[in-house]
Amino acid sequence: MGVIVGPRVIDAGLSLVKVLLAPVAVAAGYPSPAQDYFDGRIDLNEHLIKDVTSTFIVRVTGQSMEQAGISDGDELIVNRGLEPKDGSVVVAVLDGELTIKRLRITAHGVILQADNPDFPDIKVPALSDLTIWGVATRCLHYV
Amino acid sequence: MSKPAVMRRMQEIAHVDVNCFYASAERVFNPALEGRPLVVLSNNDGCAVTRSPEAKKLGVPMGEPWFKLRPRAKEWGLVALSSNYELYGDISARVMELLGRYSAWLEVYSIDEAFLGVKGEPDELLALGRTIKAACRRHVGVPVCVGIAPTKTLAKLCNKWAKNNPAFDGVCRWESVPVDQREALMAKLSVIEIWGVATRLTKRLNAMGIFSILDLTRANPVAIRDKFSIVMMRTVLELQGTPCIPMEEERIGRDQLIFSRSFSTPITTTAGLRQVMSVYAQMASARLAKHDLQAKVLTAFAATSHFNPNEKSFPSVCVALPMPTADPLLLTRAAHALLPQVHEGVKYVRAGIMVTDLRPTGNQKPLELFENPHEERGIGMLLEEISKRYGRGAIGLGHAGIKGGPDWTMKRDMLSPRYTTHWDELPLVKAA
Repeated sequence: MGVIVGPRVIDAGLSLVKVLLAPVAVAAGYPSPAQDYFDGRIDLNEHLIKDVTSTFIVRVTGQSMEQAGISDGDELIVNRGLEPKDGSVVVAVLDGELTIKRLRITAHGVILQADNPDFPDIKVPALSDLTIWGVATRCLHYV
Repeated sequence: MSKPAVMRRMQEIAHVDVNCFYASAERVFNPALEGRPLVVLSNNDGCAVTRSPEAKKLGVPMGEPWFKLRPRAKEWGLVALSSNYELYGDISARVMELLGRYSAWLEVYSIDEAFLGVKGEPDELLALGRTIKAACRRHVGVPVCVGIAPTKTLAKLCNKWAKNNPAFDGVCRWESVPVDQREALMAKLSVIEIWGVATRLTKRLNAMGIFSILDLTRANPVAIRDKFSIVMMRTVLELQGTPCIPMEEERIGRDQLIFSRSFSTPITTTAGLRQVMSVYAQMASARLAKHDLQAKVLTAFAATSHFNPNEKSFPSVCVALPMPTADPLLLTRAAHALLPQVHEGVKYVRAGIMVTDLRPTGNQKPLELFENPHEERGIGMLLEEISKRYGRGAIGLGHAGIKGGPDWTMKRDMLSPRYTTHWDELPLVKAA
């Protein structure tokens, strides 16, 4: 049971004055010498995010990573696909919470280090005892 | 000692799906939910539609209404969350993107499952399954199971085994399981457990002496076709290892878009439903424009509650659009064709529209006489842009623009943050 709607619906109170627009920019006078060199603007996504599938953005609360240049309220770009290494700034799962620390892999075990002397380090027996959520690659800091 | 020269390269189908998808998506950003009984509720916080294994263990049935669970939630430690569609959509897209890296032959079957065409030697296929499982866990953060078999039906069956038998560790390949073990597993499962067999057919199958999946596998496909249908025959052939259900490569450009919701408070007026229809039509318009699609048919419907036998009303209308279109005005007007069927004063709890027979925009230009002025001016996209900047409800055409109308938005009282799609709701990480 089909209801056919008329081909033109002009009942929205809009007056239909067609304005013709040229499909391309119309040159008026001297052509821009730059136009041959323009190949798109800088795209931050392209430079900051290597893999969109495994990259997430998180927000920092707290001061324990200040010496690493990560302040309270900053946003971090975190790639879950990267292999965490000694020295990586990582998001780890600690007591059911996402926590940001610097990963230290030493001969005596694994340490989650705070980059602020006021905060204690956390010792973990082995990397396998720890859930690393992702590796931080960039910090978006308000200046 | 050299290996035999014959390489057994197999062409098989992998079925991948995310375990308890909604619950797993929530756990990615809230690890405290790991190991706790968790349910995700349907629209309007109605019923439990996803249960974590812990919730299943508590005996929470699928589809249990939240009002029945709530009184015992505290005692059980049960956590309930509203459906966070923004989050699930994004996590699903990430999983599908990731799966696409393992096969160019990907069929997105639903929000949480996909079929992949895979090739390799038997050992390689099993290893690929394990790689896919590990990659989904690591890159996106969700657990998946993988079933690999010569047919889609068997791949789905293997996935079920992978999920329910810890020995498989989440990955099961049909050919890698010894025949007697396969038969024992199939004998344990009722026919209803197989993909493609509807509940209502089980009685008739049982009457023929077919109870288990093993019985169905041993049935004569031709006899099954004569008693049931070609569809059931395909299921039998697929169980016997003959592929009959082809891979559909582009399901993303699927032939329909549906916008359907339940209302937090029932709508009882034609005016209220007119507004709802307007909003859905404009959402459909924006979605179509975004994917460069036009629709040929629009279906609009509304419904009273199934728990309310006294005022049954299920109006529905199917409108053939005058031309393939994504124009918000045309779609809105078509959706309003439902209104004459609506009974004033009746409590409608659900409504929706569906656009079907979709085709790419601009394949074939309509004759100038039928060109649509609104479409040319990109009103649908413009509305979407404005809504994005100033929020949903900031602007709308005609009745969709009215603010302060009936409260028909979804109730989502236990909604988690939209972690991946809203800047104000990013996950928090502790630096303490």
